[in-house]
Amino acid sequence: MKRSFPWKRAALALFVSALVVAGCAKKQTVKSEGAPGAPGVASAPAPGAGGVTETPVQETPSSPVAASPAGSPPAEPTVLAAKAAEAGVAVTEEKPSRFEDVRFDFDKAVLRDDGRKACQVVAGYLGKNPRAKLLIEGHCDERGTAEYNLALGERRATAVMTYLVSLGVPKAALSAVSFGKEKPLDPGHDEGAWAKNRRAHFILK
Amino acid sequence: MKRSPAHIFRQASTAAAGAFLLALCLFPSPAFPVLYIDINAPDAKRMPIAVADFAVDPGDPSLSRGIPKILSDDLALTDLFELIPPTAHMETVAAAHFSGKPLSFPGWKMIGAEAVVIGNVSARGDRLSVEMRLYDATQGTLLVGKRYTGTPTQLRSIVHRFANEIVYTFTGVRGVFGTEIAFSARSGKSTGKEIYIVGMDGQDLRKVTDNRSFNLFPRWSPDGQWLAYTSYRAGAPNIYLRNVSTGAEKEVVRFGGSKAPGGFSPDGVWLYAGVSEAGNSDIYRVRVVGGAEEKVVEGWGLEVSPSPSPDGRRIAFVSDRGGSPQVYVKTIGVAGETRISNGTGYATSPSWSPAEDRIAYTARSGGRFIVATVASDGTGTREIASAPDGDCEDPSFSPDGRSLVYTYRKSGYSALKIISSDGRRQRTLVSGLGDAGSPAWSPGR
Repeated sequence: MKRSFPWKRAALALFVSALVVAGCAKKQTVKSEGAPGAPGVASAPAPGAGGVTETPVQETPSSPVAASPAGSPPAEPTVLAAKAAEAGVAVTEEKPSRFEDVRFDFDKAVLRDDGRKACQVVAGYLGKNPRAKLLIEGHCDERGTAEYNLALGERRATAVMTYLVSLGVPKAALSAVSFGKEKPLDPGHDEGAWAKNRRAHFILK
Repeated sequence: MKRSPAHIFRQASTAAAGAFLLALCLFPSPAFPVLYIDINAPDAKRMPIAVADFAVDPGDPSLSRGIPKILSDDLALTDLFELIPPTAHMETVAAAHFSGKPLSFPGWKMIGAEAVVIGNVSARGDRLSVEMRLYDATQGTLLVGKRYTGTPTQLRSIVHRFANEIVYTFTGVRGVFGTEIAFSARSGKSTGKEIYIVGMDGQDLRKVTDNRSFNLFPRWSPDGQWLAYTSYRAGAPNIYLRNVSTGAEKEVVRFGGSKAPGGFSPDGVWLYAGVSEAGNSDIYRVRVVGGAEEKVVEGWGLEVSPSPSPDGRRIAFVSDRGGSPQVYVKTIGVAGETRISNGTGYATSPSWSPAEDRIAYTARSGGRFIVATVASDGTGTREIASAPDGDCEDPSFSPDGRSLVYTYRKSGYSALKIISSDGRRQRTLVSGLGDAGSPAWSPGR
């Protein structure tokens, strides 16, 4: 019998071979699409070489990226800036006090006997000087998280304020601020230093 | 035509063979991209990639190797790639390769590259144009190509963007190049602390505040445009919101005593903060526009450090209501909180992962501080960063959840370090600034 070229079989074999090559390979081709992972950017697909879809894209970074503020200082009027700087420097400096610090145990805001005695001295002075105003600073040692220590320092300052009020000092004469662990009295890294830093500090205004 | 049995058999067997092969090939082939890197595989093979010298016309010839170096340095930070050194490269890339001329892929494969990056730069005065393409060298196909235009100062940012595309192409997760870390540190010999920003690659370190008081706790808005932070510049700890580009500032949270910002809600509407009133700190949230406040968590303990979940429905926070500071999780608007730290010692500074339902925090272990992660239901605690002779504290997740920045401290010395979220690799980000701490990783760019 005359044999014609086995077109069907050849076509089938070719088709299957193509599938084998395309599918069985460990790796599959990826169509590069629009702009994966770049939200909000328009893309225009353009035909590229070899029939592969390419998407060159015009992307313009939206803002002065990573621009260093050097040369563009924050917009603050000069006078206010100077005042703020003064207050700023003042707030970081340890101000000497005529009163002894109130000391606290680790992680505690409870007054001990020595703390109560120190407060009584302060209350006595304020009783004799009724126009005086007193700032109570709360402080912590360097250990532990700064935010927690900020709150603990405020609790210590408030505990002292409450006790002074209970001794008859008018509340209006008192104010409190916490410095957390930012302003240690003793820069050391041992229990001796830490004990000194867990304190309330009195500043006459 | 009459069909003989032999003929029928041959046709049937061919068809059967074809069908069998077809079935074999269709199952199971996942529709993953080529060269897929499984970032969760414990010993994933690194992708060998070559970044060719760029074609430059016109422009400074040093850009030809200079730009690939920026890109290669970025890719090297991920530990996903093996960079084929430029000395091995054989083909010179020219402008023609960007207008139809194919690369000689066999040459690249021969030196071991499975992926190739080529680039074309045009730098004219104040305009910079960079086209970059990532090719699969094995298949000879383009995986991703981008053309960027900008000013010369935006060059690094442009390269970071394409590096993020490369990481996305291979892992399905966008890279974090170009993101930044804000932190607080002592400025020179001053007793005060200022807010700083540094690129996640350690470049572009710059000071944000300059008021010589204490500037603490920088926290990014979800759009990356604003930093909330506490400043003592008016004499007491107030919270300010600062636009990072313009420097414009406003005070938010106009009530209470000591206050520290936590995170923002993901829609940018609320800022969460710990605020002390009458010596007791509770968690509030405040509308960034308008300042209206809501109390979110209260209690007789000290509640601080709120960190919202990625969907904004829950917050992690710290409370010492149990006697020592521990980490809790609460659903906003639903009564009750769940402790997720183990209840002993000390646990603070929660940071919620953007990528999975885990929270990083600082824990006390063996007499020092370490960084650990835990699932949001309190199970599966894992130690991530610890040092035998120092403290590891204040973790903050990268926007892809794959890294953490934290503070390392050892009697007077401090540094910021970046560690992979599995704890296996780490590097120093910033050192040499006094008392560096409270780092916060910016959102994705």
